[in-house]
Amino acid sequence: MRMILSKVFRLVVVLLIVSFLSFWFVKLIGGNDDLVTKMVPFSSQEEKDRIRDEIGLQDPFFQQYVRWLGNFVTGDWGQIYIGAGQTVDSIPVSEVVAKRLPVSLELMLYAQFLALFFAIPFGILTAYRANTKFDKATNITAFGMLALPQFVLALLLAIFVGARWGWLPTQSNVPNFPLNPLENWRFMLMPTIALATAQIAIYMRLLRSDMIATLQEDFITTAKAKGLPTRRVLLRHALRPSSLTLLTVAGLNVGALIGGAIVIERIFKVPGIGGELADAIFRQQTLEIQSLVVLIAFFYVILNFCVDIFYSVLDPRIRHARAVA
Amino acid sequence: MPEQSPEPGEDIIRSLATDERREMVPPDAASLQIAAVEAGPEISELTAKKGLGIGGWLAAIFLFLVIGSAIAAPILPIPDPKTDTTLPERRPDGTLPIVAAGPSLSHPFGLDATGHDVLSRTIWGARASLTIGFLSIGVGLTVGGFLGLISGYFKGKVGGFVGSILDILLAFPQLVLAIFVVEVLGHSVFYVTLALAIVATPVLARISRASTLSWSEREFVVAARAQGARHARVMWREVLPNTLPAMFSIALLSVAVVIVAEAGLAIVGAGVDPSVITWGNIIFAGQADLKASPHIVLAPSLVIFLTVLSLNYLGDAARARADVRESGL
Repeated sequence: MRMILSKVFRLVVVLLIVSFLSFWFVKLIGGNDDLVTKMVPFSSQEEKDRIRDEIGLQDPFFQQYVRWLGNFVTGDWGQIYIGAGQTVDSIPVSEVVAKRLPVSLELMLYAQFLALFFAIPFGILTAYRANTKFDKATNITAFGMLALPQFVLALLLAIFVGARWGWLPTQSNVPNFPLNPLENWRFMLMPTIALATAQIAIYMRLLRSDMIATLQEDFITTAKAKGLPTRRVLLRHALRPSSLTLLTVAGLNVGALIGGAIVIERIFKVPGIGGELADAIFRQQTLEIQSLVVLIAFFYVILNFCVDIFYSVLDPRIRHARAVA
Repeated sequence: MPEQSPEPGEDIIRSLATDERREMVPPDAASLQIAAVEAGPEISELTAKKGLGIGGWLAAIFLFLVIGSAIAAPILPIPDPKTDTTLPERRPDGTLPIVAAGPSLSHPFGLDATGHDVLSRTIWGARASLTIGFLSIGVGLTVGGFLGLISGYFKGKVGGFVGSILDILLAFPQLVLAIFVVEVLGHSVFYVTLALAIVATPVLARISRASTLSWSEREFVVAARAQGARHARVMWREVLPNTLPAMFSIALLSVAVVIVAEAGLAIVGAGVDPSVITWGNIIFAGQADLKASPHIVLAPSLVIFLTVLSLNYLGDAARARADVRESGL
């Protein structure tokens, strides 16, 4: 319990510093006037002044930060300003996030599922048949998959499967999953494959090396000596103790993917949070970029925190080591 | 550390993922992913028994060609990548007709939408992309390696303090942090390099730290300390030389990661200014018409893939060499 409390304390400190750095960094470089002019270059001077007042750019720095953080924590993540001629329209960032975050989460879930679906059997088999031809061929393939950048695979898929042969749709108006599951899957398939391929190789290699170590343990010999079928030994006895590193990395990846899928979301025009960030960059919405970056970082940190807690709950050795110390 | 003597890569990955000392530094995905390449069986060992093997030589020759042609780009007999040498006449309304053309004898990689030779652009693009790759990792390795060495060697307050600073940087997802830095600072080659160096530093520091931790408790290090050697000397003479082979191998893998990251940034629109030719920018421009002229994105993509493959292969071979030293002990 004390351990969890101290971790929570650390978490809060890290979040505070992350938010402060992001805020300060934009202020340091951006310059107040530039910021508004950059976002809505063609609007009238009155509108620009109004926006400046609205954001509160004239206040002292620290006051601005505290207000911004207060708003941020309570779910007010600022506005997206759209210059429509002389006047300026605005949309709350939270509205956009609420629409786009589920899409990103959905994509991430599919990618993780696909990666684990292939990685676990191959990891187990290559460990069980280590140094056979099968193992070598699988590992050489995995090595090639690791070197294939996600965006290259994505472009290949987009060009051939999408544009040339027209097997799968590449348009951006994805129907939501509940509305039309089949169409949704057809659209999500290519981004999922692009994201999952490298993960398959990573997960497989991790599981393989842990599994090989586990298979040398005494309790495996015992299980074999009892005459248990190989299948049972591998799945029941060896897989669980070997899957800790894999689970950790998979958990961390969920966090990394939410921002890391930006490139893939951009190529396939997936309306996710990464695609929104790319749009914000394109429209030079510095404040929106700031909010999204902090949001993604918060998500990532909190997720890492959960993985960390989960991890120590899962592995009795770590619990004990800490209890003793 | 477990009883079986694992490969250095596994050493690193285990201490990153399962070390009890993790309490001080939470895990992060990026260093684990780099280490994951190192955790598998050595590819060079699967394909060759000794030395570099055919694959290793192919990788080295390919890298030599890419780097060599990038350096020699101004004197190579290739069309200028920026002037529209083959540009046809403008239409009456002043717009340019689409001149993108697939591969041909005179233009092996074809022409892009404005009539530039794609091969020539790919060669010129290598200059910026490779500079960004090697320079940012050079900086990241120097700074990060040093920080990792310090925080791994002095485990107490100093290590904790350095570790906390790295934690903050690691709290941002890597690509998002890079985008943020570039957006705020600017889109020049220098700032993109700086952004990627900032992103790479904590990752490399993590790995350097893990490697230092596993070496600094070995007998010979303890012996050196017991003999009264100063900390600086123990770090410099005993620990550092032993972490270097693994770090060198990691560095090669990281250069590959950064080259991919540059292209990723460009695709998102947060890369180097489009007027500069980089591999990423060629792909970014070519994305406009994937269906009719896929060769524009495919040519640099293929070169990036082969470069990454070569760097990974050599990084892996470097790790195999580090292993030989280990097993020779």
